[in-house]
Amino acid sequence: MSASSACAVVTEFFDRYRAHDIDGMTDLCSINADFSYVPFELWGKQRVLRGDGKVGTVGKAIWTGFVTSFPNLTNTVHSITGNDDGDVVVEADIAGTQQLAWGFIAPTGQQFSEPHLFVFHVDDGGLIDAVTGYWDNAGTSRQLAHNEVD
Amino acid sequence: MPTTLTAGPAATTKTFLDALAEHDVAAAVGLTDPQVAVVVHPLGVRATGRAALQTVLTDLVTAFPDLLLTVRRVIVTGDVVTALLRVEGTQAAAYAGVVNQEKHIDLDQAWRFVIDDGVITAVSAYWCQQQLYRRLAVKRFDQVAIVGGEQS
Repeated sequence: MSASSACAVVTEFFDRYRAHDIDGMTDLCSINADFSYVPFELWGKQRVLRGDGKVGTVGKAIWTGFVTSFPNLTNTVHSITGNDDGDVVVEADIAGTQQLAWGFIAPTGQQFSEPHLFVFHVDDGGLIDAVTGYWDNAGTSRQLAHNEVD
Repeated sequence: MPTTLTAGPAATTKTFLDALAEHDVAAAVGLTDPQVAVVVHPLGVRATGRAALQTVLTDLVTAFPDLLLTVRRVIVTGDVVTALLRVEGTQAAAYAGVVNQEKHIDLDQAWRFVIDDGVITAVSAYWCQQQLYRRLAVKRFDQVAIVGGEQS
């Protein structure tokens, strides 16, 4: 896997994300691809629900919910760098206008645009086998007029 | 092939992170270009120059004097180095507008460095301020100075 090939796979991933082609996004991932959205953390009274697991079970559900709640969801990739080991690092803004509830955030028609950093790994077969995302949920919540931490 | 941290951009990043782990802000900042581009998204910092980075790092090690920095992974992609790390510590002074309640934080972060000939020319930091606020007992984003529970 060359760096350019790995970056091309991830570029296609964001193109499909921008088109809300969730099945297409998951088609670019291996069947058992790891998924971790680090800031995704819902604190209940007895347990914490985290955004960790597999693309097929956790990631796809989050992406689907996201484009449902933000029908004009889009992304702007600012930088994409890779290496010959299949690692790809992406800086991108994710943006959209809320139309439905997202987590504890009630829809008020507000827009958000938040910087994200993603780390991907592309396997030798050209499939993404790991996705990790970092961003600031406080920034997103503030833009959506949601001011409660929990 | 595992990433080597003994040469090139990875070595520079390792030296920076080692210095920060030792709370040696001056040594860490000394590895940066005088016109280093500094972006710390959760704090709303977007600046040019060492002073901004020095303030960010000094605030961190001052507010959390037992700061423990654990580097989980370093990814080298050309002249860009991305470090995935965990920051832990106990608050001992106000931080990011949050009054001290001696709360403990554990926060996963990503720091992206651009290295040119052994010098850090750009730093971008990503973490979730909501996670930080939650651990410091902040209840509302628009009232971060008002926290839940007893004040110390």
